[in-house]
Amino acid sequence: MSATPPAVDAGTATMISLIGSLADNKGALGRRYGEWAVSAPTIESAVAAAAMAQDELGHARSTYPVLAKLGVEREDEGLDAGAPMPVIARELPDWASFIAANLVVDGILTTFVATARDSSIEPLAQRARKILQEEGAHRVHAEAWLRRICRTGGGDLELLRQRIEEMWSQAARWPGPDDDPGYREAIERGMVSEGPAAIRDRVRRWLVASLETHDAAVTLEEPAEWSAWDPERRQ
Amino acid sequence: MSREHETVWEVFARKAYEEPLHHVGTVTEDDEDLALLSARAIYDEQPWIHMIIVPRQAIREAIRA
Repeated sequence: MSATPPAVDAGTATMISLIGSLADNKGALGRRYGEWAVSAPTIESAVAAAAMAQDELGHARSTYPVLAKLGVEREDEGLDAGAPMPVIARELPDWASFIAANLVVDGILTTFVATARDSSIEPLAQRARKILQEEGAHRVHAEAWLRRICRTGGGDLELLRQRIEEMWSQAARWPGPDDDPGYREAIERGMVSEGPAAIRDRVRRWLVASLETHDAAVTLEEPAEWSAWDPERRQ
Repeated sequence: MSREHETVWEVFARKAYEEPLHHVGTVTEDDEDLALLSARAIYDEQPWIHMIIVPRQAIREAIRA
């Protein structure tokens, strides 16, 4: 596990938590994508799932070393590292869950990464720019499958809407409360450009607009209850 | 799942601009964006500098022996 140095400021502590958890969640997402590389609905989507798995596992592997720049040495714990969101901690039960994870979990994590594109933590900024290049294809995949399922409609669309809302209930909490003092300090020091509410808002607007184009709707509420939120696990 | 009504795309690629495009295979996808994504993911064994996809139904035969 990570070992937070005994005396770091609130902004650095928040970035340590965000970067470590980003890598944990990307590792888990890579595993989940990889499991569908042998059981996706078509050979084309199986190959795309394998390519996306490779990307996510690479992002996880290249993100952990950024922690060292913040004074945290973290041992390589393999594929089951850390505490990813429970919705991606185990095998995804259906293809709708795969697409929902692609839309929502990947969407939240990538939107966070976009806020670090010009980070004052230079190794993070470098990783962010490389990750964003590769994540463009993940977004194309998510949007194309959303269109396809919306066109099919019926039970497939209903299941996807349900899975999107399930994923949102956890992924939306990942950035944390908007009034977190550590996050505010990280923004003030240029470590990231935007806070938790802005990340949620960007992803929510994209998802709602994408579904509305096909006369479908989802309810993506702003998380309200933070008393039990763990800033280290980001859950 | 039946795919007989989906669009088949012919995939062509080249490794140098002075080379002609070579036929490297096909992908089956109705969605154009997914077809492009699939072509790049499936036929990535060579360091291509250029890849195109063409819907099979857009091809016209000039000679048929």
